[in-house]
Formats: sequence, structure tokens, C-alpha cells
Amino acid sequence: MSLKDCHNFSDFRKLAKKKLPSPIFHYIDGAADDEITYKRNTTAFDAVDLVPNVLKGVENIDLSTNIFGKKIDLPLYCAPTALQRLFHYDGERAVGKAAQKFNTFFGVSALSTVSVEEISSLIDTPKMFQFYFHKDRGLNDAVMERAKAAKFDVMALTVDTITGGNRERDLRTGFTSPPKLTLSSLFSFAMKPMWGINYLTKGKFELPHLQDYVSEGTSTAVSIGNYFSNMLDQSMNWKDAEKLCSQWGGHFALKGVMSVEDAKRAVDIGCSGIMVSNHGGRQLDGSRSPFDQLAEIVDAVGDKIDVICEGGIQRGTHVLKALSIGAKACSGGRLYLYALAAAGQEGVERALNLYRAEIERGMKLMGCTKISDLNRDNLRFRSK
Amino acid sequence: MNLNDCHNFEDFRELAKRKLPSPIFHYIDGGSDDEITLNRNTDAFKDYDLIPNVLNDVSKIDMSTTVLGEKIDFPLFPSATAMHRLYHHHGERASARAVEKMGTIFGTSTMGTVSIEEIGQINKGPKSFQLYIHKDRGLTDNLIERCKKAGFTSLCLTVDTVVAGNRERDRRTGFTTPPKLTLGSFLSFALHPVWTINHLTHEKFKLANIIHITEKGSSIDKSVIDYINEQFDPAMNWDDAEYCVKKWNGPFALKGVMSVEDAKKAIDIGCTAVIVSNHGGRQLDGSRAPFDQLAEIVDVVGDKIEVILDGGVRRGTHVLKALSLGAKACSFGKGYLFALAAGGQKGVEKILENMKAEINRDMKLMGCKNIGELNSSKIVSRK
Repeated sequence: MSLKDCHNFSDFRKLAKKKLPSPIFHYIDGAADDEITYKRNTTAFDAVDLVPNVLKGVENIDLSTNIFGKKIDLPLYCAPTALQRLFHYDGERAVGKAAQKFNTFFGVSALSTVSVEEISSLIDTPKMFQFYFHKDRGLNDAVMERAKAAKFDVMALTVDTITGGNRERDLRTGFTSPPKLTLSSLFSFAMKPMWGINYLTKGKFELPHLQDYVSEGTSTAVSIGNYFSNMLDQSMNWKDAEKLCSQWGGHFALKGVMSVEDAKRAVDIGCSGIMVSNHGGRQLDGSRSPFDQLAEIVDAVGDKIDVICEGGIQRGTHVLKALSIGAKACSGGRLYLYALAAAGQEGVERALNLYRAEIERGMKLMGCTKISDLNRDNLRFRSK
Repeated sequence: MNLNDCHNFEDFRELAKRKLPSPIFHYIDGGSDDEITLNRNTDAFKDYDLIPNVLNDVSKIDMSTTVLGEKIDFPLFPSATAMHRLYHHHGERASARAVEKMGTIFGTSTMGTVSIEEIGQINKGPKSFQLYIHKDRGLTDNLIERCKKAGFTSLCLTVDTVVAGNRERDRRTGFTTPPKLTLGSFLSFALHPVWTINHLTHEKFKLANIIHITEKGSSIDKSVIDYINEQFDPAMNWDDAEYCVKKWNGPFALKGVMSVEDAKKAIDIGCTAVIVSNHGGRQLDGSRAPFDQLAEIVDVVGDKIEVILDGGVRRGTHVLKALSLGAKACSFGKGYLFALAAGGQKGVEKILENMKAEINRDMKLMGCKNIGELNSSKIVSRK
């Protein structure tokens, strides 16, 4: 199996599985507890049907949309995800350059393995920085200043990782950052020698935004669950979020909002957007899926801030359904991470190209020539 | 396993699978993307239950109905599908003869492999020609003229293929028309020598209706997807459809209508019928199932235009359920194509006989003497 055999999400997943040592594959692939929420994030889309219109003259399709004051060419972007150099030695460099080619947002995690300065020198398309509120306030200030100096367009504060989710696959595989060789994981690393050689020879593994302040994650191996539980400030509240919002002074978003009440408060503290997300099913299992919850939130705040639907997206038609309900755009992590692991920048480009083609084809078959043509009249909810 | 063992859709599918090289089987069997819509098309019927009436003297059942200007013996007809000669070396000749014998409408496609003129000779019963609007408008005019001369009784314009669906099985099997031998598909052709010998020893495969205009799909290896994307006109709009209605000036159906709004427009431009269809789940995955959408459309336009349900029909009871919600008739594609592959003309006759017998038996069990007695009092939604 090679990249040219990858036609959809599950093909990329299969290829990533072949290339990655198993603790790393399962870190991407896994979720919390019984992974009920993780599965529902995608199956939620199947409960809603599209009703197309015909004979609309659809030779030209405009997929562009505006979010956070930026025009992007595709209503789907790469959500910020951590530790990308574990998945492919080019890490965020590969994803950033691919996102630039499609002129869509590139999200960079606080736990990224390439610095904001380098990313900023590599790409000039819209960039979002994802922020974790650490106990160490000096770290928080420094990270925010660096993102500002590097001309990031959006600051997204993640609010659903106040403690680590119970990622049982990581407990079983012994996944840590940086990866630690144990007796039980030795075999899986030995089985993927190319990954090991690249990891050890293509530059030291670093967390450039954090390592001046904390050793965990770079020189001390920890699980991501433990990192969240021990390093992030569990006392974080709406006042802190409001302060960060004004400290940033630009487009600010809350990532991981699920209730209408919280969405309204996000408006009150001056956010320009929210990501309706359950962290890809990796935090609270049993949490509602973003798509199931989307209409409720759009009805309450959709005219005031940008609502992004994040999680479970594996098809162009999933994007069309979310936009029909009123999301301004969609984002996802696994949808490009498997492709990154499969083939670096080329892989991510192929994945984005497939999603773009699917969205465009879906728009034509729906009889829609621009994003604003999508609305709830063209949806039917199958079961009440 | 042979034709005698084929009692239902699944049996015909199984026999077709044994007879066809795998790229061809999967071209019929597959849908788009994750095949959610393909599966839902049939599953949708399960969410509704039939309520029979008893003691209604059902010794004589009249299953006939009038649709697209023609009286047919039972309320089901094969939808127009492309390239029958890929499935059986007798192609549309076999299906046209079988359908005439069974007294229902025969549909043939723009992408048929036997010409309009020859079909006109073979089948003297009701015939519908399925039209795709090509970028070359001369071709559209030419096809309509030829259908008139050949005695076709209705025209059907397909409107849900402005761009090809994402049929991932075809990508994996490398399906093209005409079939191309590749290293990957060689084994599956070699394992089906009878199909391969018949295909190669009978007349050359051609898209008989359009061969004089375009060579695509006839002399060079092209996937259907490439053909649709290169030749069909994505700019097609309601004016173009109205042009075809006027030019044809007879019973006219729009195939692939899913919204009430579009069904109303179909009335405005003078259509006789809308065929509620998502192209057998082969185009927009995530699109609503025809049966799920049927009531909404019938309720608004059912008294002004004939509503035909296409997609997911595998049982007589499926037809009864659709008719109870107000459809005039149903059509189906995959079932009779598997039957064609399984046994040529005999296969198509057998599946139509089976379906007709099921409809007959189920009408009796429902206590209905004629189609008109099927109505919304006979069906209830489980949800």
C-alpha cells in the first residue's frame, strides 16, 4: 500500500498504521474510555440526510469563506494538534506548507514540535495558535508574546483539557512524550525501523514553546494525560479567559465549547469564535458529538460569532452538513494526521486535495454554487 | 448455483457475482463514498409497517396502473441503466425482450450498448429513453429525434449527474468502459472465462447511441467517471430541461428530483412525472433515501404530477409501501442488472416474474384488489 492507494480517511489511517510504531499510532487513533464519543462524532452525520436541488447550473463553485476576519479558500482547516514530529519527521513544517497551498487555516499547538517563529517564516497564509493555560504564568505570557510577535492571526484557548482524559490505549501501549523505549514497546519500535531512524537522525525532538519552562514532554517522558493533569491550571475560569482575550487583543477563540450557556459567555468576554469540540472524543467519553450539538449553539450565537464544527469529519459531505446547519467552517485533526504519518507534506496535500474535491463535488450534486447556498432547508433529520 | 436457485435480490446478486469479473460486478454493486445512502435506500422501508385488511375477496387482483401515458401490467419497471452488454453479451436486446414480455416499461440509456433504432425494432411495448444533456447540444437534439422515430413512448432526463459521484470501488478495481485488462484485474477476468470469451467473441463493445458523435467510452479506455465529467454539462439548468420537454412534446420525466421545490418546478416546465431518486446511492452520499423523502413530495405535488419512486426496491412489499404513500409506480436498477448478468433475457424475466408474484401475493395479504386501494391508511411509520 502506498500514498496513491489512499482515496479516503480510512485508507490514510491504514497506511499510517503501517508506518508508525504502535504506541504512536494508537495515540492518534485512540480516545477516552470506551471511545463512544469518538465513534459518535462521525456517525452523528449519518442521522441527517441531504436533500439536493437540481438544474442549478453548477459549472463554477466558490468554496471560500470568511472566519476570524480571514478569507480562506476551503471551509475546512487543520485543527491544532500536538507533537507532529512524532508522526513524521517534518512535523508542523509539512502540515503548515500543505495548508498554505490550499489557503486554509493552519493551527499550531502549544505542544507543537516546531516553533511559531519558524512556522511564521515558512508560511504567510492564516495561522492560529492553540494555547494551554499553564500553572506557570511566566510561561503563559511568554508563549502569547511569541505568537503575537510571529504574527499569528488567531489565538485559540483550549478549555476542555482541564485534566487529562482517560486514554486507555496510551496506558496499554505506554505512550509518552518523548517516546520512551520500554520492554513492551521495544518490539513495535523495532518493527518500524524507518520511523526510528528518521526520529533519531532528522533533528532533536523538542517542544520549543515550553521547554524553557518545563522539562516534562521534552527531557522528562510523560503521558499526555499526565501532562494536562499536572502542568495545566485547573483553577482556570471565565475571568482568566477574559484576561487572555484582552491580553491577545486580536481574534480570540475558545476551543472545546459544548453548551449554549458557555457559547453565550464566550460572546460576552469578547471572543470572535468558538470551536464546538469534544477534543476528538479524547477527553470526556459520553460527551455529545459536536455535530449533534451544533444547531443548538448556532441558534443561540451563530449571528454573533464564528461557530466552527470540529470533530468526526471524514468526508466532504460531513462538512456540507455542518455548514448547512450554520457552522462557518469545520476543522479536524485525524483527517490530516494519518496523512502526515503516511507521507509527510505530500500526504497532507493529498488528503486536503481529496477533501476539497469531495466538498466541491458534493456542492455540485447539492445544486449549490457558494457556501452561503447551504442551509437547513436542504437537510432532514432522520430520527427524532 | 443457477437461475433456478434465484428466489430474491440477494440470490441474483450472488449469481451475478459468480459470473462477472469483479470490476464489473462492483460497478453495479457499489455506491459512492461510504455507501451510507446506498444502504439507507433499502433500509428506509423497514421504518414503515403495512397494516392489512382482511376478508375482502381477493380472488382477482388488478395490479395494472397507468404511468408516463402507458398502461402497464404491474407498478414496477426497470430503470434505464447504462451499458448492458458489459453484464451480458446480449445486453439491451435481452433486457428489452424480457421487459416487453412482462408488460412494463423498458428504459434504455443514452449510454446504452444497443442502438435506439434496434431497441425500437425489438420492443413494441412502452419504452422510455433516458437522456443525459451533453455539452454538445446537437447531440441532445439528435437523440430526441431518433427516439421519436423509433417509437419511444416517453423521455426521461437525468438531473442528478452534473458531476460523477465518488465511486471508490471503481477506483480500487480500475473499472473502465470498455473493460481494460490491467495487472490488477487480470486475475478476475481470467477467473470468469465464460464472460470474457462471450465479451470478446460477440460484436465489438460500443456506446451505440453516441458513437457517431463521441469516441469516449467506445474506442479508448475511460472510466464512466471521466466520461461524465468531460461530456455532461454541469451548466445544465431549468431552461435546458424545459427545452427538452418542448422538443419531445410527449410524456416526460425528470429523474433525480429530491426536493419539493424542484418537484414544483418540474410541474411548471410541463413534466408528466418526477422520479424521486438519488441514482441508486451512486452520486451524493448522505443524500436522503427516496422512500424517506417520498411523502413530503407526494403531499405537495402528488395530485399534479406522477411521482415515481426509484431506489432501494428489492421486494414486492417495498413497492406496496411506496404506493401506499402515494407513488404511482416504482423503478429499480441493480436487481434486474444482476438478473441480466446471471441469466440474460431469462434472468430478467425471472426477476420481473418474482417481483410481480410478490406484489400479487402481498396485495392479497393486504386485502387490496387494485392499486387504488393502497393508501396512507395502509401504512404507518414506526417512529
